[in-house]
Amino acid sequence: MREDELINGMKARDRKTLAKVLSLCENFPDKANVLLAKLEKNNAHVVGLTGSPGVGKSTLMNSILNEMKDRKVGVIVVDPSSPFTHGALLGDRIRMQSHATSKNVFIRSFASRGALGGLSPSIYEACDAFEAFGMDNVIVETVGVGQSEVDVKNVADTVAVVLSSDGGDEIQMMKAGLMEIADIFIINKSDNPRSQILLSRLKAVMAMGKKDVPIFLTNAITGEGVREVVKAFDERFHELKDTNLLYEKRKERLVHHVKASLRRELDDLVDKVEIEIPDFLKLKSLVLNELCKKRE
Amino acid sequence: MIKVMIAKPGLDGHDRGAKVIARALRDAGMEVIYTGIRQTPEQIAQAAVDEDVDVLGLSILSGAHMKLVPKVLELLKEKGAEIPVFVGGIIPEEDAQKLKEMGVVEVYGPGTSTQEVAEQVKEFVEHSHA
Repeated sequence: MREDELINGMKARDRKTLAKVLSLCENFPDKANVLLAKLEKNNAHVVGLTGSPGVGKSTLMNSILNEMKDRKVGVIVVDPSSPFTHGALLGDRIRMQSHATSKNVFIRSFASRGALGGLSPSIYEACDAFEAFGMDNVIVETVGVGQSEVDVKNVADTVAVVLSSDGGDEIQMMKAGLMEIADIFIINKSDNPRSQILLSRLKAVMAMGKKDVPIFLTNAITGEGVREVVKAFDERFHELKDTNLLYEKRKERLVHHVKASLRRELDDLVDKVEIEIPDFLKLKSLVLNELCKKRE
Repeated sequence: MIKVMIAKPGLDGHDRGAKVIARALRDAGMEVIYTGIRQTPEQIAQAAVDEDVDVLGLSILSGAHMKLVPKVLELLKEKGAEIPVFVGGIIPEEDAQKLKEMGVVEVYGPGTSTQEVAEQVKEFVEHSHA
């Protein structure tokens, strides 16, 4: 599709155009950035759902979508790419296919394509695209993360860290990284009696720190507790807007977007440079020179 | 990067074949979206359009392929999506022929080598982009 067709399609809120623009974000992010700059964007509440593999992020996403019935929601789900073949199995959709035909919900699967922070390298472009399409909410689900994949905090206005019992003792919860980035904790699989133990441990650990993070218990399969989570998301967004914190968040997001874009360009350049003499300093200055040439 | 969707329309829950193919295509370096079992043609067609996939694979072992496949093809056409569709499962030869006449690019039966499928999927994508 030509650029003017894409722009008109986006303005007309045409679903197929959005699909094409998201592909552009994924495969030609620089082109996507130029295109998206020409479109008006609204501030959607961008929520990040993150947590270890198997805690129920996708199932939770499904029940969150059930609660957000009357809103326009863009969903980004990320699964890992193979470091060997670059292939990926994107299976998050399985849990939320009941929303595939919802008029207001748009689900898109992304592979992590070498990004190590738990997201796709095109995550900023993808969020911009959803905002340019007039979504009320954008929900980003990270790959199943370990302790230090925390990039979601750079893109999301609100980070929900999803936990389930059997995740280890309180020392695990005292470690830096993932546990620090939560604006909201969700203990999923609340039907498991051990989730009460997790709740008291988490409360005890949180009491040691300064940040007061609300904790919610959910059963993503039955939907129990999910309404309260969505309410908490909304209240937080209002608060962010009222206190101007949203503006600060968006400034940070922009900085990270620029960094990600430059990093991508640099990676491409380094990959393309032919190594004639295996000398570090020479190679580095060669790449720098090439980079400067791009500044027009 | 080739983006494929593997979907199981209809009511049969026999997903081993779909999973084996999804895994094989992943190992062949493709990004494979698996929708899971018991999908309606509408869910599959909309997901394929939203995900902007290069090719769509349908796995059917229920015998309802002559109802389900044409419906998916029709919906894709309605949505203006030109996505090559291949089918795998238990499909009698005469039905396979009819499906191909309707526009299905290939029909795979039991015993097909996964390598062969991966190679051909790459070809389908090349042809559709040509």
